[in-house]
Amino acid sequence: MSRRLQEGRAQHQRYKEDVEKRGKSFYPYAMFHDTVMSLVVVAVIVALACIWYLTAEVNEDGSSGSGALGVLYEDKADPGTTSFIPRPDWYFYFLFYLLRIFKWPDSVILGTVGIPTIALILLLALPFIDLRRERRLVRRPVAVVAVILTALSMGVLTYKGAVAEEGSEATGLVPEWIERFSIPPGDASEGAEIFSVSGCLNCHQYAGEGVPNLGAPELTEEGNKNRGVQWQIDHLECPSCVTPGSPMPPYEDLGQDNLRKLAAFLEASKGEAAGGEAAG
Amino acid sequence: MAITPPPARRRKRRMDKVMPLVMMPVNWLEERSGLVGGLKYFLFRKVPSDINWFHTLGSATLTAFIVQAVTGVILAMYYKPHPDTAYESIRYITNEATLGWLVRGMHRWGASVFIILIFLHMARVFLFGAYKYPRELNWIVGVMLLPLAMLEGFTGYLLPWDQTAYWATVVGINLNGTGPVVGPFLAQFLRGGDEIGTDTLTRFYAMHMLLLPGAIMGLIGLHLYLVIRLGVSSPPWSKDAAGSEREERPSGDPGLVRPRARGRVAK
Ligand code: HEC
Ligand code: HEM
Repeated sequence: MSRRLQEGRAQHQRYKEDVEKRGKSFYPYAMFHDTVMSLVVVAVIVALACIWYLTAEVNEDGSSGSGALGVLYEDKADPGTTSFIPRPDWYFYFLFYLLRIFKWPDSVILGTVGIPTIALILLLALPFIDLRRERRLVRRPVAVVAVILTALSMGVLTYKGAVAEEGSEATGLVPEWIERFSIPPGDASEGAEIFSVSGCLNCHQYAGEGVPNLGAPELTEEGNKNRGVQWQIDHLECPSCVTPGSPMPPYEDLGQDNLRKLAAFLEASKGEAAGGEAAG
Repeated sequence: MAITPPPARRRKRRMDKVMPLVMMPVNWLEERSGLVGGLKYFLFRKVPSDINWFHTLGSATLTAFIVQAVTGVILAMYYKPHPDTAYESIRYITNEATLGWLVRGMHRWGASVFIILIFLHMARVFLFGAYKYPRELNWIVGVMLLPLAMLEGFTGYLLPWDQTAYWATVVGINLNGTGPVVGPFLAQFLRGGDEIGTDTLTRFYAMHMLLLPGAIMGLIGLHLYLVIRLGVSSPPWSKDAAGSEREERPSGDPGLVRPRARGRVAK
């Protein structure tokens, strides 16, 4: 038997004796604190519910205006709309934002699976990693630093996820794109229009516009990959069929016509240098 | 103090009559189950004298969970898990059902409070070094509760079937799909098919109100059993921490030979 275990047992034995001898009874002492705290918790929850409901207005048509704590509900789910910004509940923001740091396809797995799994394994293994009996914080500098770093990084990521700008509709930029990247008129230019209003910029960047999410690639030079129009259409219809595991939502609801135009636009997007040549 | 013996005596006589009536069912229950003794043990067990407000975070978390369970049951009485009706039932609960907004609001915000409290409780356990021998197992049970609680949040988020709910879940499930080997199967399983629709909603509903809460309740039970069995640790900075080494403890410490367990278990 290791010395450490022996020490631990002796200490727990002492603990039991001390508690028996000098401890106080759970009821009423500890129970009093617990009850006060529980009442505070319930009061906070009720208060949040009240603020949420009472500050939000319900409009004539039954839709909900935004109050101090946001809307009561959004519009009904509509798989056909594509400009909608996917946003998880706030306690997933840190994961969501983490994904901006990683890029598709190499390291996205690190963000979605890698880091959370490593964190969980570390947590599970903690009692077997830190075997010392020492509990005083001044003697556990590593633990203290670890807590501060974890709290800070989760706090910062959550905050950044919360204030992250959302890819706006960028219709106004379409003429500039057409000009700058020599997007040919016709399908490709109409595709640019569709691109700017279909929510693509919530995940992709185009010429610096939009926000990078979920590791989605920048699309300014998508055409240089020479995927071909049909490939683009297939990918847009069902991204995960073409690129297994793709988190990009399917866009078949846009309709064949629009998809063809989008694909033409993407294929014509060859960045500034190569602008124009092979488009058409 | 002005004592008026006659009424007091009368009161005592009344008590003598009433007490057996009160005690009869209690004794009946105790004789057949031992539950009363168990409850007495729970209530009158000794805890370290230096525990403080930080130790209330665990029961605060428990309270938040109970709020979720109670409000969740009420919501389930009105909620209709189908893409055609879910959104409408949520609106009905919010706008028309009596105090429905309060129940829904408490459930919605209680979820956030629950998550915050879990993290705070975990931080306090970590900072107190309370995961060390002999409490390793209880720490592990706690760590298992953490992702389960977050999954509750994830599955519950879809249920209102509004735009945020839908699109966040589209992306969330797709992200599951990026996982190696099991990822695509997991995504397929969560969706219940190739597209997010009726089957996804009922699946999420079943997980949200049966599978996950069941698992959480089981683990909380185990967690609390271990807390009671092992006792909570004193704050590490306490000069008088239970179990700390003290020089003035001679081997024949008379303090060690004392009557065993006064009134701990009523038998
Ligand atoms: C929810 C985030 C998201 C949205 C919204 C989104 N995408 Fe994507 N997209 C991704 C991700 C992640 C990838 C990388 C995985 C892949 O290739 O499918 C990607 C990849 C792509 C690619 C590169 C395919 C390749 O490998 O060459 C194109 C082109 C594309 N998206 C076009 C679009 C268009 C057009 C829209 C709007 C109609 C759009 N995306 C909307 C996340 C998104
Ligand atoms: C549903 C969530 C949880 C509930 C309801 C819960 C409840 C409790 C309660 C009531 C206590 C005793 C009082 C206290 O120390 O606060 C406790 C102690 C403890 N909890 Fe939790 N807990 C939860 C989650 C967690 C998590 C996520 C962890 C860690 C990863 C954890 C680890 C511990 C440990 C190690 C103790 C013993 C502390 C000691 O002896 O000082 N618990 N828990």
